[in-house]
This record gives sequence, C-alpha cells and structure tokens, in this order.
Amino acid sequence: MFADRWLPKSKLTRMTWMAALALSLLLMLLPWIVRLDGKPHADWQQFLGRFHPLAVHLPIGLLLLVPLLELAGALRPALREAAGFVLGLAFAGCLGSLALGFLLAYGGGSVGTVVSRHMAGGIVLTIGAMLCLLARPWWAQKAVAHVYPALLICTLLAMFWTTHQGGTLTHGSNYLTQYMPDGLKRWSGLEQTPAAGSFYAKHINPILDSNCVACHGEGKVKGGLRLDSYALLMRGGQDGPVIVAGQPEKSVLLTRVTLPPDQKHFMPAEGKPPLKAEEIAWIQAWIQQGASPTATTLTGIAMREETAELPLQPVGDYSALMAEIRQMDQGQGPKLKQLSSKPEDGLILFTVDSSASFGDAQLAQFQKFAPYIVDAELGRTAVTNASFDTLKQFTHLRALHLEGTEITGEGLAKLAPLSQLTYINLSGTQVTAGAVAPLSAMKNLRHIYLYNTPAQPPPAAQPATKSAL
Amino acid sequence: MKQHPLCTDTEQASHVMDLAIPAQMKREWAELQTRRHFLGRTGKVLGWAAMASLLGGRALKGDAHGPAYGQPGADQLKLPHFAPKAKRAIYLFMSGGPSQVDLWDYKPNLAALYDKDIPDSVRGAQQLTGMTAGQARFPIAPSHWTFKRYGETGTFVSDLLPFTGSIADQLAIIKSTNTEAINHEPAIMLMNTGNMNAGKPCLGSWLAYGLGSMNDNLPTFMVLQTKLNTHENNQPVSSRLWSSGFLSSEYAGVGLRAAGDPVLYLTDPDGVDREVRRNMLDAVNEINRQTYQELGDPETNARISQYEMAYRMQTSVPELADLSKEPKSTWDLYGPDAKEPGTFAYNCLMARRLAERGVRFTQIYKRGWDMHDNVTVTLPIICGEVDRACYALVTDLKQRGLLDDTLVVWAGEFGRTVYSQGGLTPDNYGRDHHPRCYTTWMTGGGVRTGITYGETDEYSYNVVKDPVTVRDFNATILHCLGIDHNKLTYNFQGLDQKLTGPTPASVVQGLLA
Repeated sequence: MFADRWLPKSKLTRMTWMAALALSLLLMLLPWIVRLDGKPHADWQQFLGRFHPLAVHLPIGLLLLVPLLELAGALRPALREAAGFVLGLAFAGCLGSLALGFLLAYGGGSVGTVVSRHMAGGIVLTIGAMLCLLARPWWAQKAVAHVYPALLICTLLAMFWTTHQGGTLTHGSNYLTQYMPDGLKRWSGLEQTPAAGSFYAKHINPILDSNCVACHGEGKVKGGLRLDSYALLMRGGQDGPVIVAGQPEKSVLLTRVTLPPDQKHFMPAEGKPPLKAEEIAWIQAWIQQGASPTATTLTGIAMREETAELPLQPVGDYSALMAEIRQMDQGQGPKLKQLSSKPEDGLILFTVDSSASFGDAQLAQFQKFAPYIVDAELGRTAVTNASFDTLKQFTHLRALHLEGTEITGEGLAKLAPLSQLTYINLSGTQVTAGAVAPLSAMKNLRHIYLYNTPAQPPPAAQPATKSAL
Repeated sequence: MKQHPLCTDTEQASHVMDLAIPAQMKREWAELQTRRHFLGRTGKVLGWAAMASLLGGRALKGDAHGPAYGQPGADQLKLPHFAPKAKRAIYLFMSGGPSQVDLWDYKPNLAALYDKDIPDSVRGAQQLTGMTAGQARFPIAPSHWTFKRYGETGTFVSDLLPFTGSIADQLAIIKSTNTEAINHEPAIMLMNTGNMNAGKPCLGSWLAYGLGSMNDNLPTFMVLQTKLNTHENNQPVSSRLWSSGFLSSEYAGVGLRAAGDPVLYLTDPDGVDREVRRNMLDAVNEINRQTYQELGDPETNARISQYEMAYRMQTSVPELADLSKEPKSTWDLYGPDAKEPGTFAYNCLMARRLAERGVRFTQIYKRGWDMHDNVTVTLPIICGEVDRACYALVTDLKQRGLLDDTLVVWAGEFGRTVYSQGGLTPDNYGRDHHPRCYTTWMTGGGVRTGITYGETDEYSYNVVKDPVTVRDFNATILHCLGIDHNKLTYNFQGLDQKLTGPTPASVVQGLLA
C-alpha cells in the first residue's frame, strides 16, 4: 500500500524523477565543476552576469506567491490550480538566475565566504523548488499530505537565507542594521557593526581609507582584498585573512606595512607614502587588543580627543518682537540679525556700527531679547564688568565677543549659568589669570581667547622654521 | 512717464502727412486707415493687454530690479540658509597662476625624469596656450626646490614657503583644484564669477547681496590691491573681477588704493565741514529719491546708498587705516613689510582689521605669479612677499579668536605645467599655464583643517583622486558661510542665475569640519 503510493506509476513519471535526480546531482557538483578562482574572466560573462541582481527578483516573487495561492485556494480552488503553474515558472526562474549568478561570480572573479554561501543557497533553493514541483501532484491528489508543505516551507526558508546573503554582497553586511535604533540593536545582539565612536571607526578606518582603499576598495580589489569596511577587513583576501585578532605578528596587514620600503611586498605599493609610525602603532595595538569593532579606547594609546561641538539649541519664539528687530535694521546703530533663515537658531547682536557709544546701559535695553541671542558681538564697545549682570540672562548665548573692551574680568563667574556658551573672546582686555579662572569650570566653553591680556603673555611671534629662509 | 534726463533720443518722429513724398502715396496711406485696419489693431492691443495682465506686473518691465531702498537683501532672501560656521571670508587671490609643482605638489620621482619628455598619454588632448603650442619638446622640469615635512600631519611643503609650511596643520590643502580655462582673463573670471565671460557678479558681490552688511560704516565687500613688483610678470587685474554684474552696484567690491590715500577724495576740501557735507548729501539724496519715484530705476537707490556709505567712510576709513595703535607683537608677526602701505603683508594686516570691523568679504589681489620663464629667480621673490604674510594672517586671526568664524581662502586661477616652457637648464626653466590641476588652500570657519584633499598623478598633470572643480570650490565657500549655492539665485535674462552656473556643482564634503 505504502510502496504503491511512493513508486512512480508510469514510465513518464519515472523519467521525470531520473532527470530530476541527475539535475540535482549536477547542481550540487557545480561548485566543483566551475571553480571560482577569484580572477575575472570573459567580459560577456560579466555583461550577462550583471543581470543577475535584476533577474533574481522574478523567482523570489513567484516563490512567495505559491504559498499564498495554495492558502487562498482553500476558498477559491481556481487559485490553487494556478499555484502549480506559478511554481513551475519559479523553478525555471531559479535555474535562469542560478546561471546568471554563476556568470557574475565566475566572470567577475568574486570569491569569499558570502559568495560561497549565496551560491550554495541558490543551488539548494533551486533543488527545493524542483522537489516541490514534483511533490505537488501527490498533495493535490491528496495522496501524501505533508511532504509538499514541508518541502515548500524549507524552500522558502532557504530562499530567505539566500536572498539575505545576496543582499549582503550588494549592499554590505551592515546595510540593514546601519540605521537600526540603538535599543533594537542591543536587543538583537547586533552590536558587531562598528560603532561610530569606536577606535576602529575613528582611527583605524581613516588610516585604511586614506592609504589603502584606492587599491583595496570598491573600485579596485587587488588580491581579492577589500579594506573599506570592518567586515571586509576581517574577511581578508584571496590568501586568507589579513587580521588575526590578538596576534599582530600573524596579521599579514601589519607585516606588509612594516616591511622595509624597498621590498616587493611592501605596502602601500607603487611608491605611495608609507604609513606613519604612529599609525602603525595604533594598528598594532588595535589588533593586539582584539581588533574589536566597538572598543572605544585602547590601553597604552592616548588619543587627542576631539569632542563634538554642542549642537544648536533652539531658542524660544520671538515673533512678537520681530517688528522691533526690523525697525532696528532700518537705521544706524546696534542690530539683531537672525543667525540663519530658521528663527529658532537665534539672533546675533551686532554693535560694530556704534561700538564707541554702546555701553552697559545700551546693553541693558536688549534684556527683552536675552533668551533669543546666541551670539553677542560686543568687541571694542564701551561695556564694562557691569555688563555681566545683563549677559547672565542671555541663556542661549553660545558666543560672546568682548575683545578690546574695558572688561577686567571681575564678575566673569556670573556667566557660569550660561550652559551653552562655547566661545568667549577677551583678547586685548585687562583680564587676569585669576579673573578668568571661573571659566574653566564651564563644561561647554572650549574656545577661550586671551590674546594680549595679562592672563596670557603674547606667544613667540616667529615660527621655528624661520632659519630655513 | 517722463523722458529720462540722460536720454537724448527725444525727437518726435514726423508724421507721414508732413513728409516730402508724392500726394498719391499720402492718399494711399490715408485709405489704409480703414475700419478693418482699426479693428485688426484693436484686437492685437487687447491681446497684448491680456497677456501683460496674465504674466503679472513684472512681465514688461525688464529684469532690472533690486531690493527697495533701505531693505537689506538678506532679510528678503531668507539667508543664511542654515547656521553658518563662518560669518566672513578673506580671499587671498594669487593672480597669474602659482606653480603647484614648486610650492605644494611634491613629486620627488620627477628628479629622475629631468629633461625627459612628458609622455603623450599623460598630456592627452590638453589644449596648449599659444606660448607653448609650437614647442617641439615638453621636457620635464623637476622643481628646483626641496620639500620638507611640516607639523604633526607631516605635510610636504616647498622650502619656498617655510612660514606657511609651519601652519600646514591648520590648512586644508586642495591639490585637485582644476579649471576649464587656459588663459588668464577667462580663468580669473571663472574663479571669481563662476563664468568665463564678463558680466556676472563675483563671489564677493553674491555674498554682499545674500548676507548683507555687518557694519554699515564700511562696505560689505572690500578689495585690496597689492603694489606691483617690477621683477615679476604682472598680468593686469581689472574691476570686472569685483563687479556686481547684473546685481545692484551696491554689492560691487570697494577698492582701497595700494598707495597714498586708501580712498580718493575722502577728506573734505578746505572750507567744507561735516555739516555742510551732510546738507549737500541730503539735498542730493532728495533729488535722487524724486528721480527714483519717477523712473523706478533701482540703480538710483544704489547711488543714494553709495553716497551715504562714502559719507560714513569719511570717518570709518581713517580709523581703519590708522595702524598706530597696533601693538609691537603685530609687527613682529607680519614683519617689516607690513608697515609699508600696499604690500601684501600690509594688506593682510588690513584684512584682519576689516574682519574685526565686520566686513563680510575681503579680497586681496597679489599679482606676479605668471612665470613663463626665469622661475628660479622670480619665484623666491614673490614667495618672500607672500609666505610670511599668509602665515601671519592665519596666526593672527587664530590668536585673536577670529579664525573660528572667518574663512580664509588662498587660490590662483590655474596651475603651471610640469614641463618647461622655453629652454630647460639645470638652473632655470619656465612654466606655462596648466588648468588640469593646481593647489589651493582654505582654513578657518567650517573647514576641516590638517588635511590634504585630492591627489594628482606622478607628473602633477592630471587629478587622479577627488577632483575639485571651480564650481565645487565656490559652492564649498558659500556652504561655509551658510549658503546653499543652488538657492542663492537672481532672476536675470530669464534664468535663475547663480554663482556656480547651470552645470551641477557640489559642496566638497571632505573639506568641511
């Protein structure tokens, strides 16, 4: 009874099964018949092969349609009839895409683990589609209930996996996760993509980018090696990996950049400038300490940290004051101008037209604009230390110009609440080192100018290279 | 509308009936004025009237328009488009085309190729100037000078520029600037106005138009000419380069003279005091305002504001040019040349003073880089004039806290050929114009410093990486000042004109901080 169901019933069916078996064998042996050697071959192969990324979407779409048709067929039998036809088309599409994919990989000289996985996936998928096609008549005749659905599910799973590998080849491994919200990334354990603030992203990648990527990048892939992303760097080239985490002495990349420059294998090749000793030290330490994509600091390597500028904080709505601002603009004297076309970027106070007559009293008149002013240009005006009482109300102030004024610095501490102040210019005033000391406590205040003040003696005027002339 | 006072074409056309022609023709003319004629003409007139109203008020008034008097352009234009890194810019224009081969673009391998011909494959189909087109050979002339590494970045800079080399870490050196023009006038126009043909506004005028003034007592855009050095081949520069083109002439650059009074006739003549001058200007302005009411020519407004500017400059310029309060450290920094008006060093010091006083854009022209021969004698002279002053300007702006929001640009109109023009000897050579690559630098507000951007081939002939066209260069400058180069436009001759022209340009992101 059971054997009855399983044995092919007619000569035709037997022939079909034999052909299917032969095709499966052929497909499985394909990677050994046509070996990918990493070298580009005929142009026509590449020309056709490049249609692969286009053509694959046809069988993908058709395969996805099959289970939908089968399910919908429970309600409308006509749809289930169509499913068989669609499945046939999908199989044909798989075969075609597989052929084009091979042309692409072989013709273009692609090698690597992702290429191999994608290829294996494609083969499994094609065989799966064929088996589905063969098993479907039993299911349709209600002879064998579970084989076809199981096969179809396996085939679809194989398809998802294969298409993901293909996507990785085209768009890079972090394409999907690059803009994933951080929380989701942590939850899914995908933190392997190099974090923006990591040592790799900030120091290693830029070195590779400026010295290596011209020949080992997207455009040119010498020795099958690409260094333009973390994943590619760790994957290595045609002779294997170039980075062995924790073992700098076994990492070919480090060896090649530290050879004597006249050696044949020295990198960067073709007379390009060698890496700086400092850069080599960073690479070595980074490999030694695990070649991590996420570690932000390395022991023994002190970096000059560039902290990001404080982003602009939007100021409140001052549209009610616009009439007054425009009126000031018409005449001579101090003016308020928008920093940019966006009102929320705030206002700049310009006083240079009338600097001699602009004193503490004039400044006090700007009190009503206080929370909207982000930049106060008070250089060479008549303001004094008393101005700090007004200025401390400029809550959104980012830049304060007081150069060449009568300021002596007493009361500078009143500016402490100005959390967004990043720039203060006291050049040419009489401020002393003691008077400016409170400024050092202001976290965001990074640009303090004290040129020509008692707080800072004038620097040496000549560069060290003067003697060269 | 009244006839313009300057319009001389005031004769009335005589009527057909008054002409000395046969009476028969006059009769024919009279018969033509028929009912059909009348109806036909009336139909056309109505058609035109309808079209004019459909096209809106401006359709038949021509293109000349500008902001109304006293209305700053920036307010109307909604500029800057985004929060800028730089409020102002100083442009050191090296007119004549400095030799990138001898100053910046270090090619040590060329020494071995002395007097060998540059391969045709490198030269390609490059057009040559009339000066070298007839040359039988193009022998490679390696730089006469050695290069040294400077700073933490280890940037190679020629021994001709030791001072500028010492601030290499603070510059963004662009080795891949390239232009389309091969002769001075078109190339220099292209750099300054974005177009090889005259008539377009220059960079400074666009900035003045777009961003407006920060100090009403000084022009928004100032031009400083450097005194001629007779040792050098001085290509002329003309006011076309700081012209406002089709923008209102308020936005044209105002030049300070290299010698004598910075501005001519600025001091009132004997017997004319400030009040008399004021009364006179008020009267003239009133007449001009009436003219504007009648004729509506925006250039009349430009004239009024220029009179007013000149009046205010009578006090602001003497204060600007008074260097007596400069501390000793200034002179130590800029060197003794800076005391002599009209030198490049003096102009750099003035540029710093203009920056302090809120002038939006200062352009210094330095001529003499056009070295077709005798490079080894003249290049050190001009580098000696320029090198220390560039260093001093950047250093001075930095120590005074001005470099945070001032963009400084150093550029010429093209580079020079790696092969010799005329005879090549071990001691001397000449270099012709070379548009395919030349070196420029930027620093200050918005610029990523301590970098070298772009690469050239081993002959310093072609750009091999990250080319920067003149359009991209100008788009990047505008970006640093908070301007989207595609949005700063002015409708003229039916086009939304812009500095970067109709060909797509892009901001060079690699140069931005």
